[in-house]
Amino acid sequence: MSATGLPLPALGYVPPSAMFRRRTAIIAGVVAFITAAGVYLNFKPWMLFTDFHHLVRLADEMVPPNVALLWTKTALYQSVAETVAMAFLGTLVGGTVAFALAFVAAKNTTPHPWLRHVARLGFGLERATPNFVVLLILFIAFGFGPYAAMIALAIGSVGMFGKLFADAIEQIDPGPCEAVASVGANPFQVIRYAVIPQVLPSVVANGFYAFDVNMRAAIALGVYGGGGIGFELQLAMKVLRYPDVLALILLVIVLITGMERVSDLIRRSLLRSDTLK
Amino acid sequence: MSSPTAYLHRRTGALLPRRLRKPLLAFFVLGTLIAVSARLCKVDLSEFFPGLLKGVEVLRFFFPPDWSSLQEMLVPALVTVLLAAVATPLGVVLSFFFGLAGARNLSPPWLRSTARTLIGVERALPEIIVLLLLVAALGVGPFPGVIALAIGSVGMLGKLFADAIEELDAKVLESVGSVGATRSQIIRFAVLPEVMPALLSNSIFRFEVNIRASVLLGAVGAGGIGFELQKAMALLEYERAMMAVLVTLLLVFGAERVSDFLRRRVLDGGKLA
Repeated sequence: MSATGLPLPALGYVPPSAMFRRRTAIIAGVVAFITAAGVYLNFKPWMLFTDFHHLVRLADEMVPPNVALLWTKTALYQSVAETVAMAFLGTLVGGTVAFALAFVAAKNTTPHPWLRHVARLGFGLERATPNFVVLLILFIAFGFGPYAAMIALAIGSVGMFGKLFADAIEQIDPGPCEAVASVGANPFQVIRYAVIPQVLPSVVANGFYAFDVNMRAAIALGVYGGGGIGFELQLAMKVLRYPDVLALILLVIVLITGMERVSDLIRRSLLRSDTLK
Repeated sequence: MSSPTAYLHRRTGALLPRRLRKPLLAFFVLGTLIAVSARLCKVDLSEFFPGLLKGVEVLRFFFPPDWSSLQEMLVPALVTVLLAAVATPLGVVLSFFFGLAGARNLSPPWLRSTARTLIGVERALPEIIVLLLLVAALGVGPFPGVIALAIGSVGMLGKLFADAIEELDAKVLESVGSVGATRSQIIRFAVLPEVMPALLSNSIFRFEVNIRASVLLGAVGAGGIGFELQKAMALLEYERAMMAVLVTLLLVFGAERVSDFLRRRVLDGGKLA
């Protein structure tokens, strides 16, 4: 007995608890797997130190950024406007199509359960397909440039937001729908007067989020040949004008954070006011 | 009834009833924006349906997929998954440090604002640009790919971790600190156990995102299934490209399922196993 009167555990070897052993085994397994993967890929972490001078050299070449480019090259305004326009139209067109298809994909508004599964599968397939594959196909159909990129963004938004909108419709309160139906409304009137008012705030919020996502995607698609600021960036990189590259990167950062602020402001004022009701 | 001012509002004499003014303004603004954007994007509606038909015709070249190339796709698919598997833990560790530095309750203001700014900058940059820069510096191969994916995780995970740490109950940190724990001990015994579920579930989700991103990065030279896809498209071997797309779909769907399953376990039980 100890001084406090509490029994002390027996001295000597205490086997680790089952939880501790299981946790250690899992961690060891994960570490071993990742190490093996790294070896298989020929990934050499020490390259970060041995090749660090390459990174320094690139940084050295980029600084100071050629910010003068931003006001001497007026074609850049066109590119920025093109990128924003792509994201805006892509979101609007994609969001509208997604909103329409969401009623097919939602359990409580679908015309037929089979159609619901087809729509859900379509959304899933679209989300799993890399954006640039869609873009490459659209390039063949519509030629290079912002038109094809805009349609690619719209298609991407349908996959992403069809699912979100459909989930929002499935989560509505059935009470108002029954109330509207009980006074003799047809299905379209139920959707108009009971479903849409309930999902509109979430649709608007998601729409603005989609615009933020699409701004980034518009720049990435531009790199592949979709035009806009991404294309300018890729061009500057190809001809190794790194001070221009850094200036364009700064422009991209300002553009994206700025548009995020703007869309946040509009979204908030829309959701706060009763415009949507 | 047919007085010349019948179109004016009865009481206020305004041209338009107040009820209609806001929607009309919104309609007008939106219409202008659409028209300007459409012009900038060189939208040509008369080209839409011919383009669509052409697109469908192009899609016909992709079928049937070239099943014989499936065997050559398996190794690149594995490479894509492994790239994400190696990059995700690196990114998680890196993001955790950014999360600690970006949390108000652990870091001095100057460190917090620096970390938050860096996180914001990374989030603003599309992954492809980070990768192109690393390719320019380090050449093509798995190393720039892994590093790009790891750095790419910081924008999302760093912010989520920092927010999770800031939401911690101050009492927990204080009680550990009051018995004389150093800062690293506070992190080990108070912060880490508390944020573990958020850390794990967000990291698993990031693994799923990284698989998609590693396909994308492959297309610009990091290897893997994305590279196969890009190569097949460039060589106009569409049936082979379709096979690569199918393998990609399988990978992404699989990753989504696995990540959903694991995340549900983490959030239900607080631990993985």
